[in-house]
Amino acid sequence: MNLAPSMTPSSVLLTLALSFAGLSALCLAMDRHHRAIFLGSPSRRRARALRVAGWCGIGAAFAAAVITADWNFGPVQWFGSLTGAALLVVGLVSYRPRWVRPAALVALPVAAVAAFLA
Amino acid sequence: MAWLHTWAGLVTGWVMFCVFVTGTATYYRSDISLWMRPEVRAAAVEPGVAAERGAAYLKVHAPKAVAWFVSLPQEERPLLDVYWFDSFDTPIKQATLDAGTGQLSTARATQGGDFLYRFHFELQMMPLVGRWIVGASALILLVALVSGIVTHRRIFSDFFTFRRDKSAQRGWLDAHNVTGVLALPFHLMITYTGIVTLAFTLMPWGIASAYRGDELRLFVESGQSPAWRAAAGRPAEGLPLAPLVARAQGEVSEPLEMVIVNNPGDAAATVVAVFEEPKGLAHRHPQVVFDATSGDVITRLGTLKPAAHVFTSFLGLHEAHFAGPALRVLFFLCGVMGSATIATGLVLWAVARAPKAGAAPGFGLRLVRGLNLGTILGLPIGIAAFFLANRLLPVELDARATWEGGVFFGAWGVAALVSLARPHARTWREMGMAAALLFLAVPVVGALTTDRGLDFLGFDAAMVAIGLLLAWGARKVSRYRGPARARAAVPDALARA
Amino acid sequence: MPDEAALRTADPGWRLRAAVAGRVALAAFGGYGVAALATAFLSLVLPMARSEAVATATLLSFAILVGAVIWVFSARTLARAALGLAVPGGLLALGLWLALTLVETVPAA
Repeated sequence: MNLAPSMTPSSVLLTLALSFAGLSALCLAMDRHHRAIFLGSPSRRRARALRVAGWCGIGAAFAAAVITADWNFGPVQWFGSLTGAALLVVGLVSYRPRWVRPAALVALPVAAVAAFLA
Repeated sequence: MAWLHTWAGLVTGWVMFCVFVTGTATYYRSDISLWMRPEVRAAAVEPGVAAERGAAYLKVHAPKAVAWFVSLPQEERPLLDVYWFDSFDTPIKQATLDAGTGQLSTARATQGGDFLYRFHFELQMMPLVGRWIVGASALILLVALVSGIVTHRRIFSDFFTFRRDKSAQRGWLDAHNVTGVLALPFHLMITYTGIVTLAFTLMPWGIASAYRGDELRLFVESGQSPAWRAAAGRPAEGLPLAPLVARAQGEVSEPLEMVIVNNPGDAAATVVAVFEEPKGLAHRHPQVVFDATSGDVITRLGTLKPAAHVFTSFLGLHEAHFAGPALRVLFFLCGVMGSATIATGLVLWAVARAPKAGAAPGFGLRLVRGLNLGTILGLPIGIAAFFLANRLLPVELDARATWEGGVFFGAWGVAALVSLARPHARTWREMGMAAALLFLAVPVVGALTTDRGLDFLGFDAAMVAIGLLLAWGARKVSRYRGPARARAAVPDALARA
Repeated sequence: MPDEAALRTADPGWRLRAAVAGRVALAAFGGYGVAALATAFLSLVLPMARSEAVATATLLSFAILVGAVIWVFSARTLARAALGLAVPGGLLALGLWLALTLVETVPAA
């Protein structure tokens, strides 16, 4: 096995946490899921803020993947992380909708710690 | 397009489910192989010493071969494998040696993880037949994927939607969409790159028209393999391998993977040191070619031209040798989602065509239901039985490795016959439980029959996780009573699955 | 696209069955034929080293094949679908014939 020195578990965790936070925000920005979690539609401004935050998270995940795992593996790691994170979001929204927001907020410090290690 | 997606998916679904499941398992091929040879423990052997041990065995057992291949022991495969061709028209032969002694390995005979790996692209059939079936199925799957994307109009608005509390059909459709869409980049990548691994079998016309009978030259011209040097017809003593190997290792920093001797014992013999892939996506191996009698370097292979680089990167992406443990988990997860996309699609076909209450299902529907059950639960039953056979068959049994495969197909065959005979909801439940128990039994039987203690914690944990997942699914099926609102109308919606 | 409602009825009728069978056969054999011709043609004429041209053409061939299959199933009539394959297929065959005659044979190893 010939591992890239940078492709460490902490690098994957960083990408995963940022993807998760971003996708959670995008999920919350959607009317159907927002209503299931907060018992009401989001205001237009709130929905836009969540969408912007979500895309920023996804963009940050891409940047983090490319910086910590270089251009060779970064994009692969980013796609994989998006899939894993999206699966987590769908699982939470379907079975534990109230956990989505706290989990997304917890993901940010996790990302910070992982960034420190990566 | 919906029509195309439905039918392309159905005809290819059963084969591709098997390909996805065994391919996903193959991400952990070396771990499976280690588990299946509990007698073998890692031993540090110098690559040069190991190469000479392999060559010594071949000198005795294959003195007239046209080429020797010595696959050196690695951490994830601590055995010395030797291969040889008696002539270019005969199939390759193989022997597994103990890396420490150079004698035939006394470990139990097993194909290990290679069994699932070869099944993944040859279905354990004659190679050409199996590869064509898998390749054609993968092409149809690619058509199903593209037509599925066109069909699914609400890809973004349904991105996170899994309505498990609505009708059974809605739940299966959402599960199909969610697993399909979330891992879509993986599905497209793995299907296309998988086809590329079989490219010259499926689409030989480019290489045939450009090379016209000299096809192997492609790999020489693209820098993937050294040119073949014909035998001189005069015998000559080759130099010892260890010093040549050491010189090659001085030039390349990657670990040495294999040593090849072409035309051994001939005056024109060559020695090729093949190294592991350097950091990067591409599946390419640096090589140093020596003249076996003078020790001069004939060629060095390393860099590739752009198209060959893209081609080998596709192979590398498919095999994911580059993935470390964390990324490997994500690849595995994506493989599971691919398998789930296919399985839910197959079930959805049957659920959507369930007859009205009281009406008897037609032959086609019964067949699809039986094949669904026999594939989706039959294959896991076969795999669990295969692992159990590895621990329970006597070590000294004749043709033991073949017997392990026989148990795999036997258990699967029984499960498939039961499924075809009674494709009901109750059979889903019972076979799900049977599969769960078989997987849960693997670590127990392993602990009782070997003395490796906690060496295989990861493998055992995976078996327990798969077993619990199957048990959870079977329990879900047995407790399912349909959605609350429709309960009166749909007494047992899953009976229709 | 074949009529989906009719397909779901108990007896879709021989006319529809024949139409579906025709599309499947055209997609499989016609689609593969066009892809194979394109691969052979491009392998000879792409302006790069021979091994590079073969690699590029072979990588592209599967996209061409899938595109051709999708075309066969999305064309309004079977005749249009067949025409849509026959025209590029004929041109490719002509081009391939020219290329095979003009491109010198493999240099000796």
